[in-house]
Amino acid sequence: MSTITRTWKVNGKPIKVRAPAGRRLLDYLRDDLGLIGAKEGCGEGECGACTVLIDNEPMVSCIVPVGQLADGTEILTIEGVEKKRAGRLLQQAYLECGAVQCGFCIPGMIISSYALLPKNPKPPTQAIRPPLSGNLCRCTG
Amino acid sequence: MNKAVSQSGRLIGQGMVRVDADGKVRGLTRYLNDIDYTGMLHGVVVRSPVARGRFKALVPDPAFDWSSVVVATAEDIPGENVVHMHDRTMPLLAEVGGELLYRGEPVAVVAAKTIELATEAAAHLRVEVEELPPLLTLQDAIAIFKKTPVKFDSMQDQDIVKGDLAKGFAAADDIIEAEYWAGHQEQLYIENQGFTVFPLADGSILCEGSLQCPYFPVHELNDPLQLPPEKIRVRQTPVGGAFGGKEEYPTMLIGYAALPALKSGKPVKITYDRHEDILFTPKRHPVWVRYKTGVKKDGTLTALECDFILDGGAYLTISDVVMFRGILHCALAYRCDNLIIRGRVARTHSFPCGAFRGFGAPQAIWGMESHIDAIAARLGKPPHTYRRQLHVRPGDVTPTGQILSKENGSTACLDLALQHAKFAQKRRQASRGKLRKGQTKYYGIGLSFFAHGAAFTGDGEAKFKAKGRMELALLDDGKPGVNIRVSSTEMGQGVHTIFTQIASDALALDPARIRFPMADTGLVPNSGPTVASRTTMVVGNVVYRASQDLKDQMESFASQRYFRGAKTVLKNSQFAAKSRRPLSFAKVARDMLTEHGPVNGFFEFKLPPDAKWDQVTFKGDSYPGYSWSANIAEVEIDPLTCELAVTRVTAVLDVGRVINPILAAGQVEGGLTQALGYAIMEKMGTGQNGLYDASRLQTYIIPTSLDTPIYDVKFVEYPYSFAPPGGKGLGELPMDGLAPAIANAVESAIGKRLRTIPITPEDLFAALHPAQGDNTP
Ligand code: FES
Ligand code: FES
Repeated sequence: MSTITRTWKVNGKPIKVRAPAGRRLLDYLRDDLGLIGAKEGCGEGECGACTVLIDNEPMVSCIVPVGQLADGTEILTIEGVEKKRAGRLLQQAYLECGAVQCGFCIPGMIISSYALLPKNPKPPTQAIRPPLSGNLCRCTG
Repeated sequence: MNKAVSQSGRLIGQGMVRVDADGKVRGLTRYLNDIDYTGMLHGVVVRSPVARGRFKALVPDPAFDWSSVVVATAEDIPGENVVHMHDRTMPLLAEVGGELLYRGEPVAVVAAKTIELATEAAAHLRVEVEELPPLLTLQDAIAIFKKTPVKFDSMQDQDIVKGDLAKGFAAADDIIEAEYWAGHQEQLYIENQGFTVFPLADGSILCEGSLQCPYFPVHELNDPLQLPPEKIRVRQTPVGGAFGGKEEYPTMLIGYAALPALKSGKPVKITYDRHEDILFTPKRHPVWVRYKTGVKKDGTLTALECDFILDGGAYLTISDVVMFRGILHCALAYRCDNLIIRGRVARTHSFPCGAFRGFGAPQAIWGMESHIDAIAARLGKPPHTYRRQLHVRPGDVTPTGQILSKENGSTACLDLALQHAKFAQKRRQASRGKLRKGQTKYYGIGLSFFAHGAAFTGDGEAKFKAKGRMELALLDDGKPGVNIRVSSTEMGQGVHTIFTQIASDALALDPARIRFPMADTGLVPNSGPTVASRTTMVVGNVVYRASQDLKDQMESFASQRYFRGAKTVLKNSQFAAKSRRPLSFAKVARDMLTEHGPVNGFFEFKLPPDAKWDQVTFKGDSYPGYSWSANIAEVEIDPLTCELAVTRVTAVLDVGRVINPILAAGQVEGGLTQALGYAIMEKMGTGQNGLYDASRLQTYIIPTSLDTPIYDVKFVEYPYSFAPPGGKGLGELPMDGLAPAIANAVESAIGKRLRTIPITPEDLFAALHPAQGDNTP
């Protein structure tokens, strides 16, 4: 398989990427960069536990081959969320509202919630449901 | 980031922020697959390709390079090839010459440096079998049960008998009989199962992974591994959901990983991917339940006869106890003097079913709560008035002869739920199969009412004697504090937080000075498995009492050491004696540790001395305490698409003392959501090939944020006073009764009762258009 050489920004930091084009972004983040916050729940794009932001869009990283991401791609993972004010507030809200149980879905859930905020800073409950429906949570539903 | 509530002595009943949430929202918590185990091997399980057959040979492909691969078979099992769960029938790995009893039954374990290599090697092992005809499903087993009962193969029987059934039927004006079915349900924790086993120099093993019951493997693997309990050490990693799925099964995983680990001397990790996890781990037992009931015109239930049959799969594992809990919940909530309940566990050639939140109770309550509605309808009584008439309350006698104490909030749950949901009023809007003025969808509202027995059945807790230890120690920050040492595992339910609250109150110590390290059998006494809605009630009490013991010891030390024997009290994290300057907890703790060495508070759980139980006749006090709940579901059904939406669920619960209302409400909503899936979405059966017919998230559909209704959750508190702080068990109750409430709501919407769950749009279509398919009476 061909190897790609790219430069991305991961959590605001420029990263030189060298990896087989077909490597899953999830594996690259977890194994090569040590960003273990994104989780694998299914590996098939169904559970949302591996969600990260790719150029501000939430994507399931288990089905994204790194070769698909061009130079200059910006990736935000849960580890980068707390560097942003909105991210910190969101994490705090998850804590205080008791949204966390086992926690396995939470990084993905927070990424999807974070992606929603710029589009809809004060979403009513009904507006939150569709964008979070790709993130399965078996603990709180 | 976590602002711990700083005042001590007042935490029980408060919505303290979870102690483990900070790491979880920041992505820092390391679950098993986030831990780097350099140098380990990856294990892959090789399985039976047939549902039933003679295992003739395991043939390695001679063309494959086996030099860097470890293969473990039954021949590598050091001791007797048996996993000792509730019986001694199940082998760890199937043996050549024996019979394979289910599709996917493990025959070997292959381990290699990478998972890819191990997987490839496994594919080069040919399992030779001579196929035999299997009995695959509960439907097949029930057909035999009905036609030729002597040929029905039950792995465990148990009856409950009360009064005189014949007399009861003779006194009845009417007899109502019906059957109810439910299929498999997958726990679907989002973190898949996994374990790493390290072989240590002294011949022992250290096992690290995601599980609920650290002491299970310690005792269940002694025979096959030829290791005494103290040589099997089990440590919990953070658990990404369990719901019963990580109760008995991790023992198997540890056993599988231990074989190549012991053979090679290297650590071996086995983790399943989602597909393997769904296909080859235990599910909720499918059930068939038949009720025959006699009633008088005034509604008195004069007789109840019940057959309750679970699909156990190929081996008993723990199904006996699941069935016991089932039959104990089959007729628990209503007055009836004459009854027989017969429980059976059918053997089928399918994966052994196992623990799942509720543990037999949801299956029982599904049937009973549907049937009570059916009886009410026959009597011409509204379902809520009938339940108000018939439900048990303090002073009433259960099927096993237990007299319900005052600590049962049955009536309060029922009445508050009815009132809160405006049940009677809304019921008048129910469509009953005809759209009313202004309705574009069929609307229905349904009720269920039920109890859940908290803790082990019968005298289980009396025999078990849960133990716990509160350890005075220097914490991670180098300053003194207290470690909670019990074997309860945090799996999302919040035990690390509520035990911190309980310990903080009992010790009068700042919760910031209390830690609850992950359970590790090398360090914690056996306080039992994290199951059976027993943790808050039983182990919570152990933590409370052991904390008081530690507090007493520290107070008398402080009194002697600093205050010349004057009465000394630990309060607000300080030791105070009259007219003396108080001393800080830290100072006293340091001095005590230096002068005494290890300091621990202990406690061992007991049941009240007058509790009685007969495990043979099933007579006596079947549970130490009961939690209660009433659920009300409102549904809308699209007449065109038959799509079913549950729009609102009201749940009122008596779980005794609520330790943390925010966590409790979250757990209830999550449990209700699982029950919603059980009722209308999660469809799974055993296919003709012996595999579950839904094996991926594309086909096994669980509720998402789009499916969850508006939840209205309320608690009423009737604490269990014998064991402070008085919780009665919360984990399973929310899973128990929503399915029948929904089925009852469906009946009120379309005027037809559906007796099989899940209720899918296809079922509703068939019910609404009987000409096209007639599966409802
Ligand atoms: S792991 Fe990527 S969606 Fe499930
Ligand atoms: S918190 Fe457990 S899966 Fe969401």
